[in-house]
Amino acid sequence: MSWFIQVLFFSTPTGLAALGETVNQKAGQLNIGLEGMMLTAAYFGALGAEITGNPALGLLLGVLSVVPLWIIQNLLTIHARQDQVVVGTGINLAAIGITSTLFQQRYGDAGRLITIPTFARFGGLDALVFFMVVMAPVIWFALHRTAWGLAIRAAGEYPDSVESAGFSVAKLRWQASGIGASLAALAGAHLALSIGGTFVQEMTAGRGFVALAMVSFGRWKPFGVLGACLLVGFAEFLRFYFQVRQPIVPYQFFLALPYVLALVVLIIVGKGTSAPMDLGRPLRSNK
Amino acid sequence: MNKLLALMGIGFALVASGCSGGREAAQGNSSESGQQNSPASKEFKVALITPGRVSDAGWNAMAYEGLKAIESELGAKVANAEATGSKIEDAMRTYGQDGYTLVFGHGYEYNEPGVKYAGQFPNTVYISSSGGKTSKNAGTFRFYLEQGFYLAGMMAGKMSKTGKVAMIGINVPSIMSTFKGFEAGAKAARPDIDVKTVIITDPKDVVAVKQATLQAIDAGADFIIHQANEGAQAVFGACKEKGVHAIGSNADQNDDSSGAVVASAVIIAKPAFVEVAREVKEGKYQGGVRLVGMDKGAIDFVVSPKFKDQIPADLISAIEEAKKKIVSGELVVPKDEF
Repeated sequence: MSWFIQVLFFSTPTGLAALGETVNQKAGQLNIGLEGMMLTAAYFGALGAEITGNPALGLLLGVLSVVPLWIIQNLLTIHARQDQVVVGTGINLAAIGITSTLFQQRYGDAGRLITIPTFARFGGLDALVFFMVVMAPVIWFALHRTAWGLAIRAAGEYPDSVESAGFSVAKLRWQASGIGASLAALAGAHLALSIGGTFVQEMTAGRGFVALAMVSFGRWKPFGVLGACLLVGFAEFLRFYFQVRQPIVPYQFFLALPYVLALVVLIIVGKGTSAPMDLGRPLRSNK
Repeated sequence: MNKLLALMGIGFALVASGCSGGREAAQGNSSESGQQNSPASKEFKVALITPGRVSDAGWNAMAYEGLKAIESELGAKVANAEATGSKIEDAMRTYGQDGYTLVFGHGYEYNEPGVKYAGQFPNTVYISSSGGKTSKNAGTFRFYLEQGFYLAGMMAGKMSKTGKVAMIGINVPSIMSTFKGFEAGAKAARPDIDVKTVIITDPKDVVAVKQATLQAIDAGADFIIHQANEGAQAVFGACKEKGVHAIGSNADQNDDSSGAVVASAVIIAKPAFVEVAREVKEGKYQGGVRLVGMDKGAIDFVVSPKFKDQIPADLISAIEEAKKKIVSGELVVPKDEF
């Protein structure tokens, strides 16, 4: 069982981010800036924990630090109706620049290895891991068994119908992206405050993009998305497991394994399209 | 909408032309001064190109500190850039065109392009950290860190209770060569030792680095040495969690806040950087391959004072003995040529 606990623990950042992004995409928005939001939360989470000595306060600062990014992104995509990919890329670049500048200002141009206090663990897992596991059924229920969820899904499929039913698509998308951004912030905080116990520049190392891929790999279904994250996490686990025990298998094989797994799964389950119809399209654009 | 786009287009065009205009002007100036061939009257400008951020508290940070020492001790005007892949040649050409006297490339991958641009810019000296190609104004400068790793291996081999130790790092020739040194040291101390190599692909990716370390510990390793630069904290953190010993590298990491580091294989880069820059400044640099090791005081192996009482006295004296033999040349630590 210990291997399962390890896979669960190390899959938490991508899992949290991907579950949040599922809600966001269901409402018709694509958050390319996921990576940047995670990185920002990781830096401010680490900073808060280092200053106060309390990882919970670090987590709070990490989540708050993502709020401005969320507001800027939504003003640009929902209200100014700009391209979501371009805005998201901007968020990513800004996050790298801001966190690196602040890091180097605080710890010097040559950098420093820092240690910060981490969350308490129960049986090898911290509260955020349990939160991720609980979030899958909660998000499923909210999306598929509530009126709000129906409106969210409709906003991603056919926003005009939502508007004519008297809902505000803009408001629904603010809510969905709010959930997405908060979970991305928790994901980043988990990186720094639980797994790393440190902050490293660009420590997200592409995991935000992996989370984006996991949303489509999991076919926009909360349990599917969580399962996809765990499967890819398991492939990463195997990569090091075999390196230390059976070095005969070249490690590059395991680098490729997640992609092979994803391809195989998509071949089996990927018939038809399950992406929200209006994904990535600006509101009230001429179709 | 169309008007807005047009305006934006004009804006971009202006910005772009402004930038490229400035660049061309700068390049024009430097090629003129290049034609004048008057290195003596020029100011002493030194550039450093690194494969990663200089804020990695490891390999790149050490070169950056060397550069800063050149700035303060030799009064040089310094600049640094991060360049990998196809950007390496761009960076080298740019520094050559801008009339830099000395360009350091901090890695073996800068050796070949360095020799190439040394031919095009005869007034600029290109030096790379390791590599084998040279010309009259291009050379290499290799830290013999394998020596420090050899002593680290001796310690790990002697002190390991499980008979298993592990090395964690990126798969690049210079790092694999230091691992060879570690393995030789461990085998010298204990011939039946099991030395595991764990390859990581990105030191920034602490999730992967930490998993790699935990797996090595789960498989029985109780001494871990790393070449993970900025990811080192994830290695130390995992060692701390599981109560095993870590060995630091490149910089002296013995006082790391995790408290897991028992010793470090260290490069003391500053004097070596300043020395070679001084030769270039005085016009005495001749090119060639230079091996900078323990005999020049550039490599060391330092044991943490906190762990001194846990380390057997005969091991300390064996390490000191080996140090003397390495300095005198009696003991030659294996290294890869690349």
